[in-house]
Amino acid sequence: MASAQISMYLPPDVNPSQAAIAYGCRALPKLNKELQSEDLLTRQKALMALCDLVHDPEHVYVAIDIGCLESLKALLKDTNDMVRLKTTEVLYIMATHNVGREGFLKYDVIHALSYLLHDPQAACRENLHLAYKHLAQVPSGAQGIVNSGLIPALVWKLQREEENIQELLLDTLAACLMEDATEALDSRLVPFLKEKLLSANNNIRSKAARTLVAISIPLEGKKQIWQYDVIPILVHLLKDKVKEVQANAAGALMYATVTTEGKYAALDAEAITPLLGLLFSPLSKARLNAIKALTMLAEAPEGRRFLQAHVPNFRALEKDDNEAVRRAALVAIKVVEWKP
Amino acid sequence: VAPTWTDRTSPAMGTYTYTYTSRPRPPPCQRRRYRDSLLQPAEEPIRYGNIMYDRRVIRGNTYALQMAPLSGQPDPLEIQRQHQAKRRALARKRAQEQLRPHTPEPVEGRQHVDVQTELYLEEIADRTIEVDMECQTDAFLDRPPTPLFIPAKTGKDVATQILEGELFDFDLEVKPMLEVLVGKTIEQSLLEVMEEEELANLQASQYAYEELRNVELAEVQRLEEQERRHQEEKERRKQQQWEVVHKHNETAQKIAAQVFAQRYLADLLPSVFDSLRDGGYFYDPVQRDIEIGFLPWLMNEVDKTMEYSMVGRAVLDMLIREVVDKRLMMYEHKEDERLSFRPGDRLSGPGAVRDPLVGPEIQGQSTSQSQGPPPDRESLPPLDGRYLEKLSSQERRLLEEEEDEQREMRKSSGKEEPSQ
Repeated sequence: MASAQISMYLPPDVNPSQAAIAYGCRALPKLNKELQSEDLLTRQKALMALCDLVHDPEHVYVAIDIGCLESLKALLKDTNDMVRLKTTEVLYIMATHNVGREGFLKYDVIHALSYLLHDPQAACRENLHLAYKHLAQVPSGAQGIVNSGLIPALVWKLQREEENIQELLLDTLAACLMEDATEALDSRLVPFLKEKLLSANNNIRSKAARTLVAISIPLEGKKQIWQYDVIPILVHLLKDKVKEVQANAAGALMYATVTTEGKYAALDAEAITPLLGLLFSPLSKARLNAIKALTMLAEAPEGRRFLQAHVPNFRALEKDDNEAVRRAALVAIKVVEWKP
Repeated sequence: VAPTWTDRTSPAMGTYTYTYTSRPRPPPCQRRRYRDSLLQPAEEPIRYGNIMYDRRVIRGNTYALQMAPLSGQPDPLEIQRQHQAKRRALARKRAQEQLRPHTPEPVEGRQHVDVQTELYLEEIADRTIEVDMECQTDAFLDRPPTPLFIPAKTGKDVATQILEGELFDFDLEVKPMLEVLVGKTIEQSLLEVMEEEELANLQASQYAYEELRNVELAEVQRLEEQERRHQEEKERRKQQQWEVVHKHNETAQKIAAQVFAQRYLADLLPSVFDSLRDGGYFYDPVQRDIEIGFLPWLMNEVDKTMEYSMVGRAVLDMLIREVVDKRLMMYEHKEDERLSFRPGDRLSGPGAVRDPLVGPEIQGQSTSQSQGPPPDRESLPPLDGRYLEKLSSQERRLLEEEEDEQREMRKSSGKEEPSQ
């Protein structure tokens, strides 16, 4: 008795809420079959087991290979709340792996997931948005989301969801807008972001500023930012308490001031002084963005006059640790000291 | 003490369970402690305590049971039958008892005495010995501790021995299971933690990349913008320059044109004046006046004078003609008067004569269109007239006709001239 050998697997039924995982390579096919069964309890147990297994990338690969995604897509339309919740959880864990993301794109899971945007359960929607966020981290994933035309729906959702889901949405949108911002610009994203910039939640402010950075890359975005008077708010955010918010606001300004109107709007809103303050921020991102924004402003004659007095700041930054900061400082000095 | 049938029916199954309850009582032993008189046979049957021979315990197959009546009150027929059976059994037993050999009666002088033959003698008495005992605890006396109660040894002694390794040692047994449990949990959690770490690393590297990319992109856009502005500036300057040159050219052209025009027009004025003068546009007003006013009038007057002379001549011609005609007529008349005298013809005569006169005049006029002035003379001779009576009127008429003729002549001559 004391020397009896026990198997290396957990004893069966130790967790009655999970289906029994078959041995070795039979585990996933059996789970896949159970996912398609008629009985609700079997499906739920299989989903719980799958949730645990799917943290391993190898299992993800095998699962996608045997076509689990089809059964999961069918389960997304199930009437039971628990099933949908667990399915979205499985999908979001799969999306954290690259194989999973590629599988999503291949099997058109994005479209199937989009039906759950209006799900009554908040946890279900949270998982859904987590899945989208992870999918959007990869350029091809972001492109997939843009191509499926989800951006207007996501923008619309942005106003109506709770805070934590809003954060996820903002992340997703920021990543997607790096790819293609035209649809978002058409769906009036800039006014919403303007509201979000004034929210009380730190995360939301910083993520909204990051999304603004992404949206202000194309020319149309810059025009809209100037049109909707976002620049004064961004200047105000430069003095925010949270470092991340400051850095992102500086980034958005950096892009928005490329156009002449943006430059003069920023100069009118007295952007130079806070930007100079940011030059010594601990975040390298903040320093970089501040230098670049000041470079943009130095293109205008008024800005150049003002900044000529502050060239020593840039000289100090030339000895910074970060390579990019050094280069940016050199460029800035060159621009400030340019004579026509 | 009676056993009870308790029906506890479970609705799903349709079976019943039997329970047997009775008050605890000492098991009846075989020997009787109290003498039973033979005259008192047991009315009730002896209660068996042996479960092996208990009718209520079901032996054998249970799927062909005969159910006892469920109601508490058994069937009266059944009760009667049972009573009869009991009585019969009793009777049988009594009969058997009577038949059974008892111990023979004691011999004379002897007595049968019941004797105990067990190991330990027991005093049997009808009346249990009762002793009244009183007890009272001493005041303020500590109660000594109750002695340890060790019950008397009863039952059989059975011994067993546990060999080594037969006991269940929980620690040993649980170890492999725990290992597996903990191992699996840690494995799963490690996986999840690694996943999160990987994600965090990915995120961090992505942010770093994004920073750099943003910066580079901003730089690119700035340079683009700069380039665009410079281009625009260049374009504007070029445009300005071009306009300046263009204006310059234009001005030069204008100046040249102006100079040329001036020079050209310098002798325009004299030549214009010359040509105008040649064209007769500059006229001496007096001369003009003379030409326009005076000379036509003069010509008219000359015409009139000539006309007068012409008319005079014509009249003279007519006179001559008339005279000649009259003379002719007179000569003819004299001849005619000799032949016939027609006063009535005077009125119609002049008319009739006139008509042929007019007729030939008309003919003469018509022929005068082709011929010249000579028909003028020819028309005159046929003119007759009683110059004595109607000379004035005739003359007037003739004069008018002459004037008409003259006018027509002039017209025709005027026509002829252009036609010639």
